[in-house]
Amino acid sequence: MAAKSPVKEPPGTSAVNPTTPLAPPPVKPELPSSSEPDVVNVPSYSRWFSFDSISECEVKFLPEFFDSRSPSKNPRVYRYYRDSIVKHYRENPSRKITFTDVRRTLVGDVGSIRRVFDFLETWGLINYFASVKTLKWEDKETKSSAASAESSSALKETSKRLCNGCKTLCTIACFACDKYDLTLCARCYVRGNHRVGVSSSDFRRVEISEEARSDWTEKETLQLLEAIMHFGDDWRKVAQHVSGKSEKDCITHFIKLPFGQEFICKESDSEDVDNKFFSINNPSDAVSESENVGATSPSKRMRLTPLADASNPIMAQAAFLSALAGVEIAEVAARAAVTTLSDVDDRASKGSLMRNTRQQEAGVASNGDATQNALARASVDASSLIEKEELDVEKAISGIVEVQMKEIQDKIIRFESLDLQMEEEWKQLEQVKNLLFVDQLSVLFHKSNARKNGDRTEENVKTDVS
Amino acid sequence: KFRMPTADNLVPIRLDIETEGQRYKDAFTWNPSDPDSEVVVFAKRTVRDLKLPPQFITQIAQSIQTQLTEFRSYEGQDMYTAEKIVPIKLDLRVNHTLIKDHFLWDLNNYESDPEEFARTFCNDMGIEDPEVGPAVAFAIREQLYEIAIQSVASAREIKISKKGRRGAEHAISSKGGGNALDLMKLFRYNSSVVRKRKEWYVYEPIVDILSNEEVDALEAREDRNTR
Repeated sequence: MAAKSPVKEPPGTSAVNPTTPLAPPPVKPELPSSSEPDVVNVPSYSRWFSFDSISECEVKFLPEFFDSRSPSKNPRVYRYYRDSIVKHYRENPSRKITFTDVRRTLVGDVGSIRRVFDFLETWGLINYFASVKTLKWEDKETKSSAASAESSSALKETSKRLCNGCKTLCTIACFACDKYDLTLCARCYVRGNHRVGVSSSDFRRVEISEEARSDWTEKETLQLLEAIMHFGDDWRKVAQHVSGKSEKDCITHFIKLPFGQEFICKESDSEDVDNKFFSINNPSDAVSESENVGATSPSKRMRLTPLADASNPIMAQAAFLSALAGVEIAEVAARAAVTTLSDVDDRASKGSLMRNTRQQEAGVASNGDATQNALARASVDASSLIEKEELDVEKAISGIVEVQMKEIQDKIIRFESLDLQMEEEWKQLEQVKNLLFVDQLSVLFHKSNARKNGDRTEENVKTDVS
Repeated sequence: KFRMPTADNLVPIRLDIETEGQRYKDAFTWNPSDPDSEVVVFAKRTVRDLKLPPQFITQIAQSIQTQLTEFRSYEGQDMYTAEKIVPIKLDLRVNHTLIKDHFLWDLNNYESDPEEFARTFCNDMGIEDPEVGPAVAFAIREQLYEIAIQSVASAREIKISKKGRRGAEHAISSKGGGNALDLMKLFRYNSSVVRKRKEWYVYEPIVDILSNEEVDALEAREDRNTR
C-alpha cells in the first residue's frame, strides 16, 4: 500500500526555506484543479512533509514522541502512525477520513493517535479538499431550522460575535473563517493571533456594523427623514418612528446619507466630503455583500500581512486600523496621508514628529494602490490645524520654561550669598574659639602657678605660724 | 506496585453501549496519563465520526471515565510479582478474520509491548485487514490487565495469611497460576526448552478468513450469547 502517487504542489508558490515555515505562512496559493486522480495536492505550507524523514515542524508540535519520556513513544512509532494515516487518506483523497476510521486500524493508544491525526489535518496533509463538502453537511447538522443559506447569516446577525483570540466583543468588522469556525477581531487577525495551521487568507472580512443591520429600504429612509423633520435631535423618538431600527442605526444611517454634508461646517472642499460619503457607502456595501475572497483581494491581503508581522507597534496599529476600516478606505486614507505630507513639507518643517508620521503614512500608503483622494483634502486641513495648535502649545511651554529658569537662577544667587555669610560667621566663630582656648590655657597656667604659690604661701604661713 | 506489565502503562477500554435501539461496541487502549478532558473530546469525536445520536456522548464518556477510575484505584496498591509466565489465549474475530492463538507471556517483563507483538503478528501472518492489529493488542492487554488485578488480590491475601514464602507458594497454586508451577516442573529436569512436537498444535496461531455467511452466522450466535 505504498503511496505511488506523486505529490504535486500548487504552482505559483515561492521557494521556501525548509526551516522557516514553522508557522504556516500566510500565502495560500490559488486552488488548482484536482481533476487528475493520481495527483495529491498539498498546501504550500506543508511542503516539508516527506515519508522518509521527520521535520522540525513535527518535532515542535508533537514533542511527546521525541522527548523520550515514554519508552514506547519514539520517532519510529510516530512515523508508523503518520505514514499509515497519510497513506490511508491518499487511497481516496476525495473522501474525508475520520479519526475513528484511523484509530481502529492503528495499534496504539488513542490519545496519541488523535494528536497525530489532528496535527496532520491542521496542516492539510489529510482531508485537504474534503473539507468543502463536509462543511455543508456540518452546517445542516448544526442548524435546527430547515431554512436555507439565510439561516446562516441570520445566525450570525442575531448573535454577537466574540473573538476567539482575545475574547472581546467584535465591533465594526471582524474576520470569520468558516473552515475552522473561528472568529477574530481585527486586532487579532492582524497580529496573526489565530490557531496554528490557519492561514490569514482563510478569513473573510465580515462587517458587523454593516451586515448586522439590514439594509435600509426606501420606506425606512423616508420614515427616518420625516421623523427627523418632526423631532429634530430627539433620536429616541426618531427610532420609535422608524420601525425596526435602533437609535444608533438611525443616527449612523442619517450621517451616511448623501446630504449629510450640510451638517458639517462648510469648507472649500465640501464636494470632496460628498465624495467621501458616497465612497463610504459603496465600498461598505461591496464588502458586506461579497462573501468570498474576490480575485483582487488575495493580492491585497497578501500585502496586508507583511505589515502584520512588523514589530513596530505603529505599523501594527496602522495595519489594524486599515484592517478595521476596510481595504478601499485604507487606500483612500493612505493617499490622503501622502498628499498631506507633501503639503506639509512646503510649510515649516517640524522635525522628528513629521518624520514619524511620514514613516507611518508611507507604510500605510504602501498598503494600498488605488487612486481615490476624496479624503485627502479633509485630512490635509485637519492636519494643518493640528500643527498650528502644536506650535502654540510649544511656545507656551517654552515661555513657562524660561520663567521657571529665571526663578531658579535667583534662588541660586540668594543661596550663594547666604553661603558666603555663613562662611564669614564660621570664621569668626573659629577665631573666638581660638581666643577662648588661649584664655582657658592661660587660666589653667595661672591656676597652677597660683596653686604653687598658694602652697608656698601656705607653707610660708605654716612655717610662719609654726 | 501496580502497573500494567508492559512498556507503556495503557488501559484497555471496552465500550458496549446501547441506546434507542442502537448498539455501539468498541475496544481500544487509553493512556491514563492523558488529561481527563480528553475523554469528552474523544467521545464527541467518535460520535461525530460515526454519526451516532448525541446521547452517546455522555454515555461513552461515562463508561470510559469509570474504567479509568477503576484502573487508577488499583494504582497505589501492591502487586505480587513472582515468577510468572502466563499463557495468553487469543480467540477473536475481527470483520472477516478469525484468530486463534496461544502463547506464553512473561509478566515480570515490564518492557513488553503488546502493540509491537500485534504489529509483528499481523505482518508475519500476512493479515490484510488493518483492524486486526489493534484488536489483537487489545486482547492481550485485557488479559494482562486481568492478571494484574488478580495479582493485586493475591498480594492482599498473602499479607493476610502471613505465612511467608511457603504460604506464597500455596497461594499461587490455589490461584490458578499453576501454569507457572508447571513450567518450573518442566524446566527442572532434563527436559529441553524446545517444545514437544505433540504440543505444537496447541501453540500454533490459526488465522482464518471467513466468508460472509460464516460471519453472519457467527454474529448471530454471539448476539444470542450476550442477550
